[in-house]
Amino acid sequence: MNTFLVTVGVGLATAAILALSALAFTLEYAVSRIANFAHGEFLTIGAYAAYSTQGIFHENVAAAAVIAAAVGAVAGLLLNALVIEQFRGRSAITVLIATLGVALIVQNVLDMIYGAANVSYSYPQGSLHHVGPFLWTTSDIEVIVSALVVAGLIYLLLQQTRFGKAIRAVSQDRALAQVSGIPARRIIMGTWVLAGALAGFAGFALAATIGTFGPLLGFNFLLLTITATVAGGLGRPYATLGGALIVGLAIQIAGTYTSSAYELVFAFLLLVLLMLFRPNGVFVRRSSVTVRA
Amino acid sequence: MYWVSVFTEAGNFAILALGLDVVWGWGGDFDLMFYGYLALGSYMTFVLSIGKPTPPVEYIIGWHLPVLIAILLAIVVVVCLAAVIGAIALRNLRGIYFAVTTLGAVSALYLLVENYTPLFDGYNGVYGLINPGQSALNLTYNGYRIFFLVAVFVLLFLSYLLVQRLSRSPFGRMLRSVREDERAAAAYGRPIFFTKYRAYLFGAALAGLTGGLFAIFISAFNPSAWTPQELLVIYAAILVGGRGNPRGVILGVFVVYIGFIELTRYLPSPASRPDFGPALRQVLIGLAIILMLRFRPEGILRERPGLDTRPESAGRPPRGWVEALTGTARGAAAAPASQRAAGSSGLRSDEGATREGDASKAARRRAGQTGRAGDRE
Repeated sequence: MNTFLVTVGVGLATAAILALSALAFTLEYAVSRIANFAHGEFLTIGAYAAYSTQGIFHENVAAAAVIAAAVGAVAGLLLNALVIEQFRGRSAITVLIATLGVALIVQNVLDMIYGAANVSYSYPQGSLHHVGPFLWTTSDIEVIVSALVVAGLIYLLLQQTRFGKAIRAVSQDRALAQVSGIPARRIIMGTWVLAGALAGFAGFALAATIGTFGPLLGFNFLLLTITATVAGGLGRPYATLGGALIVGLAIQIAGTYTSSAYELVFAFLLLVLLMLFRPNGVFVRRSSVTVRA
Repeated sequence: MYWVSVFTEAGNFAILALGLDVVWGWGGDFDLMFYGYLALGSYMTFVLSIGKPTPPVEYIIGWHLPVLIAILLAIVVVVCLAAVIGAIALRNLRGIYFAVTTLGAVSALYLLVENYTPLFDGYNGVYGLINPGQSALNLTYNGYRIFFLVAVFVLLFLSYLLVQRLSRSPFGRMLRSVREDERAAAAYGRPIFFTKYRAYLFGAALAGLTGGLFAIFISAFNPSAWTPQELLVIYAAILVGGRGNPRGVILGVFVVYIGFIELTRYLPSPASRPDFGPALRQVLIGLAIILMLRFRPEGILRERPGLDTRPESAGRPPRGWVEALTGTARGAAAAPASQRAAGSSGLRSDEGATREGDASKAARRRAGQTGRAGDRE
């Protein structure tokens, strides 16, 4: 079996989780124009929700996924109502610092409830399958398929429904959308619920793939998420999927040929290259100008 | 002795906070890499002063220098790293992008130190710098601890004088004008990148110094002693005390550090869960950050506007040594430029809500100041 192709297969599974997380991050940015540094905590909360209820639902995958998404949605709703909306009109960096404060709170509340040590989330990985040139476990395939389905649903939502149209309008200009009769507040709230659900589900998928996790699960995934988002271009949902693919494959391949401990180091190098040469995303042809947000 | 150790640590953090305040408070760049500079300063102080490693312990360099020289060299190394990071992050990236890049940098540094053992012995870290110079000074263990506390406070006072001097200097005003409105400052001929860059290197040097002092203070350093999240305590302290005001920053460190961290020490912590107390502290720190940002972003002590309001400076101010050092005497005119910009675009400026009060006050004061500032050119 070709090592490289196996690596690419694993990279695709990573990219699928990354795509869900980055899609949520970019939706949050699109409507609120802020970088949510508590985004990783949505994933963590989703993962812990699935972990806490596994006794009740006896390893029912679908139930765990739904619970993770539902708890993530509630977290998104609360974060928007209690923090983001309170800081309306303030600079993006002020909101970033506030969300970092939220991240600190969530991490340590989880620490107080579950302890700082990793918990193990025993989710059956299933048998190995050869799919084309790749070697995937059943859960890998489930993650990839569900990511594709979710991405397709998001596409339909954004393009075909009134809600999606309103999201696009608000993300372009909140004030203009509001005077056109779009209830911007409610649309933003809805987007945060959606993003929270996506991130919660991504957290469940991440926890199920890794097997053990602690309160820092999501925060450690934040840098990868942001790198993928920046690669696609902040606030551009479809390009974000491409960004996730690039980042997921790049770090997996680089990590396999050195050491998986250095994955984030490669993510940082990739991030620096992006920031220096393509701060607006790899799919946009534009010279590097000062980027501020 | 307990309080000696508490105040030594708080004094150390105060020096760090002064450095961070120059970068974030005056320069407006939210830097998440800053704790990394402290860590590197600490590691470098160790490997330069504790001698060759005995296997299986491994780390780089392994010299046996006097600790003061080791700290100085460590600061040089820290500033070199800051020069690289700053050159990447400060040139074109602002706001969110700057924060993201520095978060990446500190994550990469942390993982590298933790996993690449030949550097600083990975997860085990470095140790063995126990009260350097104790026998030369002929002190008891407790005497040395008190001596070290005094030394830290002397250094804190010197740092404060330096920062306070810089704050009022043309350089300090130039840096703030760049924060308020880069375009206006650039239009007045201020070098945007180099102003921010110099501030960044200065802040990193103070972080390196703090790292060196920490090396002596805790005499062992490993990845569990520092995580990037620790930096949020310092940001909380700056926010509580007063962003941009050196006196406020020091006050904030003592309030947050001793108030929050020491008082929660007495909260009951279940014996089975020793991490309960520290976690609760972090929750309080996070709450403090959010509440301060929301309700009183200027902190306890407001930032003093860049204008020099002392009556005796009505004439041409003497060219001080800081100006001679930084060569920025020309920067004097930048302050009115910034306030003009802040006044006209109050809502757009960085901290809209926070500075409007200042801007209107400054506007009143400006009437009597602009002519004078012009004279300085």
